[in-house]
Amino acid sequence: MDNPLVQPDPGLFIWTILTFLILLGLLAKFAWAPLLKALDERQATIRKSLDDADAAQQELAQLQEKSAQLIAEARAEGQSIVAKSRAAAEVVREDLHQKAKTEAAAMVQAAERQIQQETARAIQQIRHEVVDLSLSVASKLIKKNLTAEDNDALIQDSLIQIDASRPS
Amino acid sequence: MTTQHAEEAQQAGEHAADAAHGAEEGFNAGEVIIEHVSNSSLDHPIIHLPHIAGIDFSVTKHVMMIWLVAGFLFLVITMATRAYLKQERRIPTGFMNGLEWLVQSIRDSIVLPNVGAKFVNTWTPLMLTLFVFILACNVVGLIPMFATLGMVDRFVLGNSPESESLINSVLHGGTTATANYNVTAALATITFFSIMIAGTMAHGFVKHWKNLVPSGLAKPVYALLIPIELMGMFVKPFALTMRLAANMTGGHIAILSILSLVFLFAEIFASAAVGIGVGVTLVLPLAVGISALEIIVVMVQAYVFTLLTSVFIGMAINVHH
Repeated sequence: MDNPLVQPDPGLFIWTILTFLILLGLLAKFAWAPLLKALDERQATIRKSLDDADAAQQELAQLQEKSAQLIAEARAEGQSIVAKSRAAAEVVREDLHQKAKTEAAAMVQAAERQIQQETARAIQQIRHEVVDLSLSVASKLIKKNLTAEDNDALIQDSLIQIDASRPS
Repeated sequence: MTTQHAEEAQQAGEHAADAAHGAEEGFNAGEVIIEHVSNSSLDHPIIHLPHIAGIDFSVTKHVMMIWLVAGFLFLVITMATRAYLKQERRIPTGFMNGLEWLVQSIRDSIVLPNVGAKFVNTWTPLMLTLFVFILACNVVGLIPMFATLGMVDRFVLGNSPESESLINSVLHGGTTATANYNVTAALATITFFSIMIAGTMAHGFVKHWKNLVPSGLAKPVYALLIPIELMGMFVKPFALTMRLAANMTGGHIAILSILSLVFLFAEIFASAAVGIGVGVTLVLPLAVGISALEIIVVMVQAYVFTLLTSVFIGMAINVHH
């Protein structure tokens, strides 16, 4: 065949196969295999980091929920403490009030009793002085006008009158 | 033809030397085109090597091209990978992004759907190497780098086309190794054996060969089916060979034919001005358009070769009858 386009060339054929196989071996060892491995690894890394990010987000949400719960609990506890102390204060106040009331009542009673005693004593004293005064007046009058019988009768009358006018 | 024509040839981005060479007996478009798409002659290889078992192992232009491509690919890809893997925090940047995209898309959209999850890591390196090797060979053919070297040789260094300079020795022949069916046949041979290896790995040696034909059919059907399937075994790589080589050759022939119009018109009208006029008004837009088309073709062909190899290997692994 004269046409160089269809010239069989076994040398070129064999050179091509050799060259290609050597290139294939070298590239497979130094480029393709490590590259394919790196690609797979990176795929795994990306998947893992996305998973991690998801997990972290979930954890964050959980933590947020927990902290909200804690805050709510603390608030409730604070409220109950305030309520309790308010109740305790109320009890103490009531107590004091009661005590003061009874004390005041006792004081009033004592004062009343004292007043009664004083009054009774004063009345007694007044009665004695009235008797004395009456006696002196009567004796002065009697010395002039009355006999001994009249005198006795007058004394008896006066005593009855005084007894009658005495407050029971 | 005058030196003026030769200068015009370099403007067209192809060998000035051949145009000047053709000046003595007139411009022969066919010869020039064949010279640019075929391998350099085995009679004038770049490096003479002894025959082994009757096979000439001399380094011709296309052998040199596949070596250059393989060396370039190995250096660039390995260096990028090592730089990337050395990093503490592996953040792909620049070229690495592209390489990673390539690796991932070939694995996930070519190999995985065809070969299946079980063997995807076994066959992805082969597919990646096939793709980058074919693509690089195709693309290098689109870059008129040896034409530029030739211009430097003629007009800067002042060597004659017949001189034995180093540059001159690498000028002959096309630069697209994948336009040579010997190269594509070699690649298809790799596919051919990969199919067998894949089938043997998945089903065992005997079962792989039994899988060629569906089981449980009537005996006379096998008499027909077995030869057909055996033929299919060879047709698959043959189709791969021809598709790639023909596509690469065809595109270059189209570009070169259009570029030849410059010299043909100049010769017909015996006027450089006509040649230049045709070149600027007609040839340049057409050549640019076809080159743009070629950029698509080189990528599609690399993709198709890789995809079909994956499909064939997948067929040997996942047998559906």
